[in-house]
Amino acid sequence: MNNRQITANPLAQYWVTLMLLLAISGCSSSASVKINTTFPQVLAEPKPINVAILFNDSFSAYQARPTKNTHLDIGTAQVQLFKNAFKGLFSEIEFVATADSIGEQTSLVITPSVREVQISTPSDNYLNIFEVWIKYNLEIKTADGETLTNWFMPVYGKTPDSFMASKSAAIEHATITAIRDAGAKLILDFYRIPAVYDWVSKQRLKEDLG
Amino acid sequence: MMVELSHNSILALVLVALSVLSGCAATTTIDKYRPSTELIALNSNEKIALLGRRDAGHHETDREFINCVASKIKAANIEVLDEQTFINAIYPWFEPRTAPRGLPRLKRLLQQPLVKAEINQQAVRYLVWLDGSTETQDQSGSISCAIGPGGGGCLGFAQWNKLSVYEGIVWDLHLLEEKGRLRIDSEGTSYLIGAVAPIPLLTPVKSDACNSMGTQLTSFFSTQ
Repeated sequence: MNNRQITANPLAQYWVTLMLLLAISGCSSSASVKINTTFPQVLAEPKPINVAILFNDSFSAYQARPTKNTHLDIGTAQVQLFKNAFKGLFSEIEFVATADSIGEQTSLVITPSVREVQISTPSDNYLNIFEVWIKYNLEIKTADGETLTNWFMPVYGKTPDSFMASKSAAIEHATITAIRDAGAKLILDFYRIPAVYDWVSKQRLKEDLG
Repeated sequence: MMVELSHNSILALVLVALSVLSGCAATTTIDKYRPSTELIALNSNEKIALLGRRDAGHHETDREFINCVASKIKAANIEVLDEQTFINAIYPWFEPRTAPRGLPRLKRLLQQPLVKAEINQQAVRYLVWLDGSTETQDQSGSISCAIGPGGGGCLGFAQWNKLSVYEGIVWDLHLLEEKGRLRIDSEGTSYLIGAVAPIPLLTPVKSDACNSMGTQLTSFFSTQ
């Protein structure tokens, strides 16, 4: 009888420990998200400008840690979205990983980078939603190396509500919405950047005179 | 005396039960506006696209409601293009940042040949914007449940109101004009009675709003 109790106790302890671990992991507020979705092609008429887009490693393999418990891998997704968006802006375009690879015909060199990623959860914002902000910077240079502008491009995404499958699923949804917003912002505002607008006008004038 | 009291008790119980059950029915109000009484003609090769408004800060028209309304309209043999398919095909022009809020912006958007061609390609003739949300209000009461070696049970009473407010606007993408709009307000109270087992008496407020929206939108169109 005693022997039976001794052999049963470790098993019971094992099950209790397992249940406790499961319960604790279920309550954990950490989230690790990798965005693997595909983004649609943009519907826009590109301008005949020869442009090189420099996706350096820090951008194409970008991983954010907006809070100590949240890890966001957005590098691949943002490269795909930016490729789609830039194809809607320029008719002649090359994507390069280093400045050495830029072709001679290039008129503009654009280097996107991420300045910051922020997230907000229902416990932070007292709303029923998860929110993600990604702050991009576009360094726009001429072929001569003259900086036209550094364009700060904040984008935003949120969930419809917080009743999603998990915190990870909610953050993934909000991040995808934010990355899609980057495409919308680029197509809508790129040629409205004063420095870009002036440069394009001057190029057109040169072509007309030449 | 005893018999009279029993009758009164039964009557009171019946009244309470009736009032609780009648409380479970949603009250729905429909406001409909159309510039003409003629039905909107929809050819067999034309579709409508149902889109939810996503640009409000405090709420976002949920996809569940849009899918529900779409299924009601499809049941009337009207072809409905899936919301995400339409948004992806026209990307990025119907994202929260870029979606036209009014007809002047839509007219400018459709001046872009690529956008117009894609809408024609998708055979979308009418766009229906759905905007609104369902909110829980006035929660009161409490219910507690306990479990012990001898069994378990719940005791208490809780109630809450739900209010669904949705607006639908129909745009003609060929004539670039508004063909009608309607607003659905649906309200009802739900109860949870804890009498050993928890007994939910839920009012299908959102479902009523969906049914009304689907039925009314369907009545706008005549398929040919």
